[in-house]
Amino acid sequence: MASELITLKTTGLKTDEMIINMGPQHPATHGVLRLLLTLDGEFVKHVEPVIGHLHRAQEWQGQNRTWFQYQALIDRVDYLSGMFTSWAMARSAEHIEDIKVPLRAEYYRVMVSEMNRITSHLLWLGTYLIDLGAMFGFPFYPFREREKLLDLFEAIAGQRMMFNYIRIGGVQHEAPDGWFAKLKQFTEDFPDRVDEYEAIVTENPIFLKRTKGVGRLKKSVAMDYGVTGPSLRASGVNYDLRKFKPYSVYDRLQFEVPVMEGDGDTWARYMCRIAEMRQSNEIIKQCMAQIPGGTADELREKRKACNSCGKEDCANCGGDLKLSGKKQMAGMRIKAGEGFAAVESPRGVLGCYIISNGSDKPARFRWRNPSFSNLSVLPELLVGSPIADIMAVFGSIDVILPDVDR
Amino acid sequence: MTYTYPHQTPFNIGEIFKFSRLTVIWLSIIFGAVWAACFLVGVAIPFWIDNGFIVNGSLNLFTKFNEAPSDASLIWSNTFRALTPIVAVAVFIPINAMFMVLCERRALALFTVRKGPNRVGPDGLLQTAADAVKLLFKEDITPRGADILMFTLAPIIFFAPSIIGMVPLLAAVTNNHQLFSIVNIPTGIFYVIAVSAIPVVGIVMGGWASNNKYSLVGGLRSAAQAISYEIPLVLSIITVCLISGTLDVVSIAERQAGGILHWNIFAGGALPQAGAHLGAALDNLKNMSTDVTEPTRQAAWAAVNQAWGGMVAAFAFIGCMFLLFGIYATCACAEINRIPFDLPEAESELVSGYNTEYSGIKFAIFFLAEFTNLFVVSSIATVLFLGGGSSPIQGFMDAQWWNWLASVNNWTMPTVPFINSETFFGAFWVVVKVYSLVIFAILVRGTLPRFRIDQLMDFGWKRLIPLSLFLLLAVTFLRELV
Repeated sequence: MASELITLKTTGLKTDEMIINMGPQHPATHGVLRLLLTLDGEFVKHVEPVIGHLHRAQEWQGQNRTWFQYQALIDRVDYLSGMFTSWAMARSAEHIEDIKVPLRAEYYRVMVSEMNRITSHLLWLGTYLIDLGAMFGFPFYPFREREKLLDLFEAIAGQRMMFNYIRIGGVQHEAPDGWFAKLKQFTEDFPDRVDEYEAIVTENPIFLKRTKGVGRLKKSVAMDYGVTGPSLRASGVNYDLRKFKPYSVYDRLQFEVPVMEGDGDTWARYMCRIAEMRQSNEIIKQCMAQIPGGTADELREKRKACNSCGKEDCANCGGDLKLSGKKQMAGMRIKAGEGFAAVESPRGVLGCYIISNGSDKPARFRWRNPSFSNLSVLPELLVGSPIADIMAVFGSIDVILPDVDR
Repeated sequence: MTYTYPHQTPFNIGEIFKFSRLTVIWLSIIFGAVWAACFLVGVAIPFWIDNGFIVNGSLNLFTKFNEAPSDASLIWSNTFRALTPIVAVAVFIPINAMFMVLCERRALALFTVRKGPNRVGPDGLLQTAADAVKLLFKEDITPRGADILMFTLAPIIFFAPSIIGMVPLLAAVTNNHQLFSIVNIPTGIFYVIAVSAIPVVGIVMGGWASNNKYSLVGGLRSAAQAISYEIPLVLSIITVCLISGTLDVVSIAERQAGGILHWNIFAGGALPQAGAHLGAALDNLKNMSTDVTEPTRQAAWAAVNQAWGGMVAAFAFIGCMFLLFGIYATCACAEINRIPFDLPEAESELVSGYNTEYSGIKFAIFFLAEFTNLFVVSSIATVLFLGGGSSPIQGFMDAQWWNWLASVNNWTMPTVPFINSETFFGAFWVVVKVYSLVIFAILVRGTLPRFRIDQLMDFGWKRLIPLSLFLLLAVTFLRELV
């Protein structure tokens, strides 16, 4: 379509290509991505993502801080899904030292991570609508629900975004009183809220026009580039670590991974994330029903009998009901060895590779970030599309820039 | 640990009450200021001049009353009288735009479970005043490589048409009363359309002169958009002129007096007219004595049937007018670059489009003009489709109602010019209708995403233009059938 617009041979007029730097200071690039665009009229001829503006040497920092110190920094790697980054690192370290994580802590991990997946997808939904030009109205509604979950995070971890909750060997805190009740209330309300979003967005003709058939990501291309997460599943590849390499307690939970049939356009990616939010909500419900020891309130009642002794052989404090399989302290060490562990984060497979030499610092640290490989597929999707679709497509693959640049 | 979420639902009575209070206070401020300015320029100063209080520009306290004014003083006082409409518009526009900005922000906050600006002044009343002061004191930056003349001229060319375009509407709003009849011109609506086509020149100039690629794309998009959407806009206006039979805005407004069914959106009284025909035909049939001949009875029945056909045509006519109103609203949204047609300033694509490089007072003028344009297109819609200053129920809140009240209570009518009851209620209803349309535009802004430029063009050329042409044709026939 672009070529029709280029040269008007009959009049002898010539048009030129225009090179535009979209970003890093652009209101819609979700942080500091720079896209080097070659435009032909309104159409993209070439696009080159320039990354590194947010490079903070996260891996180097990991090698120069103790295990205990670095735990607090990990949430910043992907600031919208701090639970998952913490979890990936914790699992990797646990893999090196063969730490057995108590069952109650595993349930807590799954619960808070799925809550985090919902908050991440909700934020994506709001900002994606802003990318499509719904600047003021709808984007605030997902934030209303996200606010409730953030309050729950604040109650359990002390922080709203940088949780530092999942630690090597377990989790940090028991939930406060009333937390489970609030979460239960939320899980009951949430499907209705998602219905509300769907009513206003999914059926919207302008939204359909902007997303259907836009930014098609073929199955084979997605697999070539190592795209993971909802973006991959929207292209029809049934790949989710929670199902295919069930870690933690995911093998005890009943859930379906939403996989979209067809083109893998931005609409499919939207639908996939909406379905995942519903699915995560179901997982949280199951976790609350299955968690050993019951809710925090009940467990506290029971522990009054043994006065919260904390002994290993106590029926109310030890065994599955502990919160951590490793003692948390500033100088804690992980024995020598190497380990890789990955979790299914809201953006895809988030991996962490660590070599430990037995000291209090990791010897080598490496992240495998989903946003990086997801971003690399962007030029494939954008060439030939108009300027207006750049943000519609870029927003739909849900990239977090600190996650790309580390 | 207790959590409360005070703003869970958009139906927050407290916030709605605060919003309504804010609206009432601001509208009173607007009306007070405009009325005071008009009174000063149109009544008080001419009175002083004519009675010798002011002679050759200086104050004269030793005047003699009841002396015929001299020719020189009459020239001056008449000049001031003639200036009244201009003063009215000049005072109205900035204050009104300031309120519209606040109204938009507060209404959007209501729709999006937020609180909106509520810190400056009592309950955020002075927020836009503070914003305006801030913008006035900001540095006025001209980017390197910009065409300075064009860059400076662009906001002026963008803003000026919205002022001069408002002037004939003022005559329609004030029912052509007193000195406001000065500004009425027989081809008013033609003038308004011609003037409203100018701002796009300002946008293209600003986009080109900024020496910025985003601005350039924004300006060019604006030109394409304005050209495409002006055609169905004008076609819908032409259809209204067709059923009104005039281009004069005052006559178009006056023709719709007599309640909601006489408004042009309800086909300008087609339904009551058809109903009257039907009633007459039925009465004729009913009152017919039993001894009439069969052909006479058949003729009466034929008349009834024909009247029924008229009713059907009237309903079809009303449907057409609703569609036309929809077309007008859509195209007006596109004309003034509002969501879902805000492509020239699409934030997620073009940073801020044509006004990316503008700052300080020039940006403020662009901003002011955008809101004034919204007001102007809403006023045009009000005058053309929603009956201008006429009350939706005849005899309620209009001059007739006021006269009835006065006769019942034995009041003496005030005889001050500019506060004549017809003008007052006309202005009241116009403001109610215009602000309803403005709130609707805000609601749309709070709901819809943005079109893509090619989809916008498709929608304009392939849907709206054929539809508006068809409606023009349909209305031409339907108005004969009713």
